Amino acid sequence: MTEVFSADLRVAPRANLRRDTSSQRPFIPWAESISADLGHFAAEPDEAAARAALEARLGALGAALRESPYHAATLREAGFHPGDLQSLDDLRHFPFLDRETLASHWSDVPTPMADADACVVVKSSGSTGTPVNVVRDRRDCLHMWAVLRFLVARAGAVLPPRPRVVLLDALPGGLEYSVRLPILLDGALHRISVLRDDAAERLRRVRPAVLFSDPEGLRWLATQRDVPTPRLVLTSAQHLPSGLRAELAGVMAAPVLNYYATTETGPLAWECLRESAPGRFHVLAPDVWLEPGLEEVVVTRLRPSVLPLLRYRPGDAGTVRRDACPCGFQGWTLEHFGGRGACRFVTPTGREVDAWALAWVFKHHALRAFRLTQTGVSHFRLELAGAPASSEAPLRERLTAALRNLGWTARIELDVQAVEAATLVTGTKHQPFRRRG
Amino acid sequence: MAFDLRELQTQLDAAPFVSPYPHDLSLAIICDTFRLAQARPPSLADWTDLEQRARSPLWREQVMMLAYVLTSSSLGQETARTLRKGDDATTLLQRFFQDVAPLTAEMVRSNAFRREEFLRKWVRAVDGQWKGESPKGSTARLEQLDYRKAEAEMRRAEEARKREADKRQQALREAEQRAADARGWRE
Repeated sequence: MTEVFSADLRVAPRANLRRDTSSQRPFIPWAESISADLGHFAAEPDEAAARAALEARLGALGAALRESPYHAATLREAGFHPGDLQSLDDLRHFPFLDRETLASHWSDVPTPMADADACVVVKSSGSTGTPVNVVRDRRDCLHMWAVLRFLVARAGAVLPPRPRVVLLDALPGGLEYSVRLPILLDGALHRISVLRDDAAERLRRVRPAVLFSDPEGLRWLATQRDVPTPRLVLTSAQHLPSGLRAELAGVMAAPVLNYYATTETGPLAWECLRESAPGRFHVLAPDVWLEPGLEEVVVTRLRPSVLPLLRYRPGDAGTVRRDACPCGFQGWTLEHFGGRGACRFVTPTGREVDAWALAWVFKHHALRAFRLTQTGVSHFRLELAGAPASSEAPLRERLTAALRNLGWTARIELDVQAVEAATLVTGTKHQPFRRRG
Repeated sequence: MAFDLRELQTQLDAAPFVSPYPHDLSLAIICDTFRLAQARPPSLADWTDLEQRARSPLWREQVMMLAYVLTSSSLGQETARTLRKGDDATTLLQRFFQDVAPLTAEMVRSNAFRREEFLRKWVRAVDGQWKGESPKGSTARLEQLDYRKAEAEMRRAEEARKREADKRQQALREAEQRAADARGWRE
């Protein structure tokens, strides 16, 4: 399915790479402590003790809020002060931070940067609304590697010395690179594009201990023979079809761990590995607190970061509750996680594909909102809000190329319409992908 | 008899503040509370004096919010039971209004922490005690809630932030430039 799309189209963005990877070394003890804390919390049966430990982090959060121009002004206007935040229950009285608000105040939310050179600005997906510029400090950038240590242990995997990690990428453009990864047991990171002719061969050569991919990449992987089995496969929580899990299980015996993360917050939760418990995401406390009892995800970041997040609403639905899971996890679990609006498009051959595999296309265009609807076998309607006229042609080119990559090999009819952002919102959650009929 | 914070909050939640009380009515409600305790309420001249001493545009709305919490919960009755016959209402009120000086009616109405602070400062003014709390615990909680103190801290932080602002904007511009048209830092 991927061969029809030439890597030479170069529709993927460039990536900036940090080559000074030795600068990760001072963060190794921090990464170990992050992983140890996650492990400790995931095994803490006493809710009161867990809450007390989380509440001990609120003082530092309060101090960060005081340093953040946006938070300080907002709290002051509403008559709050950071000292009001003494317990997790106090959070419910504080104002939310919406995604739209973060998008428009992105430069005022961070605290002053102790080490500005180490900070970067990344753009979050525009797939669920306005793209957000997200300021990250070095720890934010490295956090996923710290969490990975914990997830590896959670999945019962054991990494070899100098583990190799592969990002298996199905995005058009064929971007590939290799860098050292001192923070993960002196390992190395290889990005491999499934669009390259030698992808399988390279995968065999690298023999990854850990493999990250999206559902399209995993689907490609499931069609390969004689590829090495990683100790752990990870994918982020776009809708992960159970059929795909089964397909992959037929090829390799590695556990597949699905996690929920956003660009703004970093990793938030991971899906329970029990087969009988799909859709139950265990929260990554103490790094984040997801408020229980609500019908949407509300995140407060409890680990230090240049970007303090207080009651942040990424726009995803779900309900959190205290849990003692048969998998052994003790903590808070996110259920009914439906915010990503699972949607399946059907290719001309009748194969179902995850519409979210197209989300990346929209991450690189300035627009307020979009909705892509499959209206026929090869007919799509793209509604765009707030997109400049000049972006239509490149967006059309990228989207058409991405659809070809997914299996629409014949002519694709793409009807592009400019609309008001308000017309794309139905209910509380923007659903950017739909299928008619 | 001790004041019950949880009960007061439940009562106030059930009686949301809908429309402002006229100033005269607010004064009458507060005076009534003192009369119920057989303490001499402030005279009109005392009220004028209190307003002049406060020198605050918020004073009248604070008077109104005091009247609201006294009538919309058992705070008024508890206050009457706690006040002593010889209490000097004017001095007590002056101390209270100094204490709540930065609190607006909107804060007390819509912000759970400022409402608690307002209630606690009133109970402190009438020398009352809280149910289930030691005097030391009550003092510590009021210290946590004290908006006047926090406001001063926030002002200091604001000034420090302003000093950092130029430096910060420059750093952000540079970071954004570095990221330029690329997304997805990887390491």
